[in-house]
Amino acid sequence: MVKEIEVEPITRLEGHGGLRVVLGDDGKVQDVQFNITSTRFFEKFCEGRYCEHIPRITTRICGICPIPHHLTPTKAVEDAWGVKIPTPALKLRQLLMNAKQYSSHVLHFYALAAPDFLLGPMADPALRNVVHVINKMPDVGAMALKMMDFGQKLCAAIGGKSIHPISAIVGGMKKPLDEEIRDKFLKEIDEQIEFTKKTVDIGLKIVEDYWDVVANVGVVPTYYLGLTKNGVHDIYEGDIRIVNPEGNKIDYNAHKYLDVLGEHIPKHSYATHMYYKPAGYPEGIYRANCLGMINAADKMATPLADEALKAFRDKVGPVSHHTFAYHWARIIETVEAIELIKKYLEDPDICNPDCKTLDIEPREGQGIGVTEAPRGVLLYHIWSDAEGICKKLNLLVATNHNIAGIEKSLMHVAKQVFEDKILERLKLPDPWIK
Amino acid sequence: MIKNIEDNDNIVESRVKVAFLQSSDCWGCHQSLLNAHLGLLPVLPALEIVYWPCVVDFKYESLEKREDGEILVGFVEGSMRTKQDIEASKLMRRKCQLIIAFGSCSCYGNVHGLANQFSIDDLKNRKFLEVESIADYSNRIPDEHVPSFENKIVPLDNVIKVDAYISGCPPKPEQIISSVLFLLGQKPFPMNVSAFCNECSLNQSGCILDEEKICFGAITSTGCTMKCPENGKACVGCMGPARNVSSKIDKLNKITDDLNSISSGDKKNLYEFLTLFLNIPLMAGFDLAGDILKQIKNKGKVSTPLTNLPSAIEEVTSKLLQYLRDNKNFHEISNVCDTCSRIIGSRSTMTKVKRDYEGLPNLEECLIEQGYICMGPVTNAGCGAMCINVNAPCSGCYGQTKWDVNQSERFADTILKSFNVSISKEELLSQVKDHIGTFEKFTLASNKGYKGGE
Repeated sequence: MVKEIEVEPITRLEGHGGLRVVLGDDGKVQDVQFNITSTRFFEKFCEGRYCEHIPRITTRICGICPIPHHLTPTKAVEDAWGVKIPTPALKLRQLLMNAKQYSSHVLHFYALAAPDFLLGPMADPALRNVVHVINKMPDVGAMALKMMDFGQKLCAAIGGKSIHPISAIVGGMKKPLDEEIRDKFLKEIDEQIEFTKKTVDIGLKIVEDYWDVVANVGVVPTYYLGLTKNGVHDIYEGDIRIVNPEGNKIDYNAHKYLDVLGEHIPKHSYATHMYYKPAGYPEGIYRANCLGMINAADKMATPLADEALKAFRDKVGPVSHHTFAYHWARIIETVEAIELIKKYLEDPDICNPDCKTLDIEPREGQGIGVTEAPRGVLLYHIWSDAEGICKKLNLLVATNHNIAGIEKSLMHVAKQVFEDKILERLKLPDPWIK
Repeated sequence: MIKNIEDNDNIVESRVKVAFLQSSDCWGCHQSLLNAHLGLLPVLPALEIVYWPCVVDFKYESLEKREDGEILVGFVEGSMRTKQDIEASKLMRRKCQLIIAFGSCSCYGNVHGLANQFSIDDLKNRKFLEVESIADYSNRIPDEHVPSFENKIVPLDNVIKVDAYISGCPPKPEQIISSVLFLLGQKPFPMNVSAFCNECSLNQSGCILDEEKICFGAITSTGCTMKCPENGKACVGCMGPARNVSSKIDKLNKITDDLNSISSGDKKNLYEFLTLFLNIPLMAGFDLAGDILKQIKNKGKVSTPLTNLPSAIEEVTSKLLQYLRDNKNFHEISNVCDTCSRIIGSRSTMTKVKRDYEGLPNLEECLIEQGYICMGPVTNAGCGAMCINVNAPCSGCYGQTKWDVNQSERFADTILKSFNVSISKEELLSQVKDHIGTFEKFTLASNKGYKGGE
């Protein structure tokens, strides 16, 4: 008899999804579906809006990463209208992006991912969550909360609001950072760097404890999508880089994205399946997010993060297909984020009132904006009319780049679990929280 | 605003069951709740979270298995975009005694309501058939193991009965936490012994109470930076009650005897006070919150939040609450301008409508008077004018202060009446090219007169 296993909803997920595994009489996995069960049609209802209003609407695509959804359409409109922004605005935006990267990655690691490892994957579902982690490991919990708080407060200080920011505008930023506020963050930055180092230690301990899982479960060769600026990891100014399963890197200009990134419409998910167009579907399925970024980067932008990248490469090789290495890659990016936050906080330009150009004239044309959101590359393609009203919008949203890759790795893991019975053999450590 | 919670054990014993539903959303309301960070620590032990998919691993089935009415408070967040959103909301209604519309999506439809301009087929065709990056022309709209779409977005209270609303996109963390504490019947605990007045720089000369204006320093605890009086502003009670009131209590008592005649500035301070001091959350319609309390009280679950206060403080606060109950539209008098520090009646005048990218406004004068469309005068207060503080006009995410009227015209009428504006209503409205996106960005789905695309 055919057996169908359904997980509804997938928890600790931003968005809505279910998982379905179909097993045949012989116990073989016949089908795996990752069903994304909602979509809200931003592509359509942004039509007719003022182009400069789009960055205040599209933030609502994602409450965890509204900052990239604020800045990327702003970049796209600037591209369409041929607007150049002053250097202080660029630095403020880099700082804002990295503040978001920091708080989002810490949230992801501690609130969404860590419960699986700290309590162990077999723990009671009623307890396997961040609330329980905070109760049982109050020191780690308090540290994680302080890290997220720092990042979110910095986002609010620059963005006006940490969730759904409003301070970017076509042509720059509406307001520089007040010196007094900047000083407050500078006072806390060294403590945050220490917290990050502790997080690296916790992360590496988890990798070591769970090495059997990392090295053997869900190791799935795919293509990868990341952003680099001249080969260096860069979440705001980087351009598109594809890494093939063998680890070869190919650079593309984001304006050519339609030649590179294709969407396949699956029958069973409202989130589409992305693939590398030259390789076709499904062969060209790629993954994005931190592992994609780390696989794409020749080096990180800051010293501690670059050291962390070298340690990673020593262990897993030049290109990692380990699904569980995402957490490790995320920690490397967290280190870079806090180092860059320090660098930009120490730059007097972020308090410079010359943060917006006045030379702005709407014009008819198309624009592309691309950044790395905490869950993957984010691309906006906007069509403006002569009055600066949005005629059309196409979005390649961060999480969406991973849907096909997630389904592919789920199929792989389902076979490992149901056909090879890998769970019976895995070496799992004693949980930290019992 | 989190109060000290002195007796943790009692709270653990009386943990209440709460559930959070995510409908079609962005996660931002949940992120906002998590943004309370350390502020969560005293609240979490009071809650038994029985459903919260974005944080906790319980599955939908576990919610279905609960007894009807077993859960005290259910927070429903997100828009009603799919059949699954509708069904899950109905399930929440059955399982929870109280339903809170949590955030502007469930209160008003939010930006997703802008989709009501189009037919559902137009929406689906753009996303699944026409988008430029669709590369293998599969020519299909997903329909396997995915719920179908609703034709139009509607607010949650068109789908199920809603007991209270927490608006905002997202609601501020302190607003959510204070709502939770309020609903749980947590009381404000007196903090320090000494009252604010005793450390106030205006105590000897220039006292605000001496001028017969409202200042809550007489009953508020010390412990803050005393910035408000330094800037000539009244204390609005952020630190919560003091154990001992100051000698100025009589003056405060006298002013609060006749709340109907206080000035609009004093009303603004009163509004802030009710939120910060008494943990009365900024729910749209406090009268609803009163009903909730009655409801829960009848079931013997929690008491009102106003016991346990020093009696001199209680005398003042009971008058404020009485005022609130008698003036159910109190929240309407508070719009975003009431909490905005910019000068209205400034040296600037709107002579034409500026687009947001034009120029760079100064930080002192009203944005409307500088020529920008700022929705502050017609938008519910509660945010603290955060957008305007960074030089971005309000776009209305806390919802309209008045419903079922032509919002473009209402905005124009309002600003022509109370602001420096030297263009006619017709000119103003014709200079704005996108009325829906400008005046009803967050609330189009709540506009009963709007028919939209077929």
